[in-house]
Amino acid sequence: MANDRLLPAVPGLAGLLPDGGLRRGSTIAVSGGVEGGGGTSLALAVAAGPSGAGSWCAAIGAPPLGLVAASEMGIALERFPLIRAGGRAWVRTVAAALEAFDVIMAWPVRGVSIEEARRLTALGRERGAVLVTCGPGWPERTDLRLEAVRSEWIGLERGHGRLRARRIEVAVGGRGAASVERRTALWLPSPEGRIEAAPETGFIAPAVIDAGLDAAFAGISDDDTVAVTAG
Amino acid sequence: MGVRTLAVWCPDWPVTAAGHGRDEAVAVLAKGRVVACSEAARAEGVAPGLRRRQAESRCSGLAVVDDDPARDARAFEPVVASVEAAAPTVEILTPGLCALPARGPARYYGSEPAAVTWITEAVERTTGPGGCRVGIAEGSWAASQAARRAVIVEPGSGPTERFLARLPVDVLDDPDLTDHFRRLGLRLLGDVAALPAASVLERFGPSGARAHRLASGRDERPHLPRVPPEDLAVSMGFDPPADRLDTVLFAARQLAAELAVHLDERVLGCTVLAIEAETAGGRMLVRRWRHEDGLTPQALSERVRWQVEAWLLRGGEDGAGVPGGLARLRLIPELVHPERGRQLGFWGASAADELVAGALVRMQGMLGAEAVATATLVGGRTPSARVRVTPWGATPPEGECVSTGTGRGGKAGVRGPRAPERPAWPGRIPPPSPATVYAEPPGVALLDGAGAPVTVDVRGHPSGAPAILRAAGMAPADVGAWAGPWPADERWWDPAARCRRVRMQVLTLGGEAHLLAFDGDRWLLEATYD
Repeated sequence: MANDRLLPAVPGLAGLLPDGGLRRGSTIAVSGGVEGGGGTSLALAVAAGPSGAGSWCAAIGAPPLGLVAASEMGIALERFPLIRAGGRAWVRTVAAALEAFDVIMAWPVRGVSIEEARRLTALGRERGAVLVTCGPGWPERTDLRLEAVRSEWIGLERGHGRLRARRIEVAVGGRGAASVERRTALWLPSPEGRIEAAPETGFIAPAVIDAGLDAAFAGISDDDTVAVTAG
Repeated sequence: MGVRTLAVWCPDWPVTAAGHGRDEAVAVLAKGRVVACSEAARAEGVAPGLRRRQAESRCSGLAVVDDDPARDARAFEPVVASVEAAAPTVEILTPGLCALPARGPARYYGSEPAAVTWITEAVERTTGPGGCRVGIAEGSWAASQAARRAVIVEPGSGPTERFLARLPVDVLDDPDLTDHFRRLGLRLLGDVAALPAASVLERFGPSGARAHRLASGRDERPHLPRVPPEDLAVSMGFDPPADRLDTVLFAARQLAAELAVHLDERVLGCTVLAIEAETAGGRMLVRRWRHEDGLTPQALSERVRWQVEAWLLRGGEDGAGVPGGLARLRLIPELVHPERGRQLGFWGASAADELVAGALVRMQGMLGAEAVATATLVGGRTPSARVRVTPWGATPPEGECVSTGTGRGGKAGVRGPRAPERPAWPGRIPPPSPATVYAEPPGVALLDGAGAPVTVDVRGHPSGAPAILRAAGMAPADVGAWAGPWPADERWWDPAARCRRVRMQVLTLGGEAHLLAFDGDRWLLEATYD
C-alpha cells in the first residue's frame, strides 16, 4: 500500500480538494445542507477513493448506511467494517480505529469534548490517518470542510421517470489553502453513475428540467422521432 | 467428544532433562522466573512464576538451571521411543508429555489398566522408577490432565466432563485468565463450562473461548482423515548423506518455512506434524508432534529443530546414533484443519491488514462481537435486501459473497467503482441507490391534493397523485415529483414470508428524495437518497 502523504480521491472530488487528494493525518468535516441533504453521499464519496485504491476505511457510529450505494460509489465493502459505538465508548473506538485504518468515517455522538476532539486529531496526525467527521457534533475546527449546500435530483417527474442523477453544490472551506471558501458543483452521481465535476453554470431550474429532461435522457431516439416527423 | 486417548506425563520434565534427580532442590528459570522445579524445591515453597531471588530466599541451596526447550525435547526422545516400543502412533504434545489413541494398546494388552501398567513399566526403564504417570480420558487435553493425576477416567463423554468439572481453573495454564476467573468466583472448570460459550468469548476473547472449550471437554479438532487430501508433505534429500548438525538444521529450517507457506496458501492449520528422516543405512525414523491450537510457523520450525537435534545428538531410537547421517528429511502434516479463527494473514496479507484485524478484534472486545460487522452484497430487489451484514470474524454467507478477501491487498485496484452486477432481479430498484437505508422503516403518511391518504389498488394504480409527505420528526413536505408505484410480489412461493409491496420514489420540493413502500395499508419510509 502506498505510504504517500496523499490518499487518492475519486476523480470528481479530486478537483475540489486543495491537495488533489486526502492528506494523511488531516481531518475533514462533511455535512449535508438544508436543501435535499446529500451529506451522507458526499461522505461516502470521500471514502470511495482510498477504499477503491486498497485502503481500509471504518464507519463508526454511522446512521443506517445504504451499502449498495456505497458499493456503487466505489467503496470496497470487504474493507469497510461498520462499527456500532455509542456513548462513552465512541471516543475509545475512534482512537482504536485511528491506530489501524487509513480513513475513519465517524459520526460524532453527543457530548464529545474539545479535549477529546484534539486528542483524536493529534492521534490521527501521528498515525497518518484521515479522520472524516460526518454530520454535526464535532466540536473542533477541521483542516477541511465539505458541505453539501444544495442537491437537486433529476430524472423524476410527476408520475413517471426515476431518480437518475443528482447535482450537488459543495462548499469547500477549512485551513491553509482551503481558507477561502469555494463552491463547486458535482454530479453525485452523474447519469452514467459516476462521480464527476458538473458544469459551473448554475442549476437547472425545475421548469427547464421538465422541458428538457426527455431530450436529455431519452436522448437520440426522441430526436430521431422529431427528425422523422419533420421530414 | 474426542478420541479415547492415553497420555504419558513425566513430572517436572525440564528438571529431569537438565540431569537432576527429583530429590535435588532445582529450579528451571526462563527470563528470570521459575518455570519448573523439582519435588524437593516444591516442598520448600518454590513454585512456577516466582522470581529467582524469591525462589532462592525460600529454598536455601537451590540449584538453578536455564530453561532450554531443545534440551527437554532431546532428552524426551528416548522416553518417546520406549513408549513407542510398547504401543505405536505416539504423538508428542510437548517435551514431557505424549499421547496415543488408547484403543489399540487396550486391546493388545487386554484392558486399559493392563495397558497403563505395561506402558508405565516400559517408560520407567528409561526414566527410572516414578519417572512417569499415565492416564486415560476422552480427548488429548483431558487425557493429559488424567495422566497428571494418574487416573483412568471411565469411557464415555459424561465421566470425562465430570472429571474435568472438578479440576481447579489453574490447570488451564493461563495465569492472567485464571486470575480473572478466580475474581469472578469461577474456581473450577465446571463453573467455566456452565457459562454460555458466546458470553465467555465476548468477555474473555479467544483465550476465554479456548478455556471454555477445554473445560467442556471439547479440545479435539474434529477428526479428519489422517492423510490430508492434497500432498502437502515437503522433503529434501541429502547426497552425500548429511551427518553434520548444522547442515541438517539449515535444511530443516528451509523445509519448515516451505511447509508453513503451503499451509498458509490453503488456509490450513496443522495439528499433527510427522517428522520423518531416512538414515544413510536406510532406516526410517518418524516422530509425530501434536498441537491442539495448530502449529504456528514458528512453533513448526522449532519442533523440527528439536527433533532433528534429538536424533543427531542423542543418537536415534536404540542409542546407536545415526550412522552415516541422514539421507532424507520429510515433514508431513498428518492432521490438518481449516483455519477459521485466524482468517487474516494468508495470501501474504500486508502489515496494514494485520493491524486492522487486531484493531477490530480489540473493538469487539470493547463493544461486543455484534457491534463490528462487514457487509457483503447478495441478490435482492430492495436496497436492504441486497446487503448481508455479518459480524467481523464470522463466516460470511456461503456461495453468495463474491469477494470476501480481507487480505487481497494486491488485487485491491481490480475492483473498479462499478462492481460487476450480480444476476438481475426483476423489479429491482435501479441505481443510483439510496445512501441511507432504514433498518426498521418508519411509517409515513402520503396524502393527495385533497388531503386523503394515497392508497394503491390491487392492479397497482394509486388512488391519487401524491401531494404531501408527512413523517415523524419532519415537517410536512410538498411532493414535487414521484414515480411508481412499482409492484413487487416478493417470496410468493413461501406463504409465510410472502410480501406484496409496491414502491415509489418521491422527491419533495425541498429536494429530498425518498423510497417509500406501501404494504397494503400504510406507507413505510424504506430509504432516503441523501
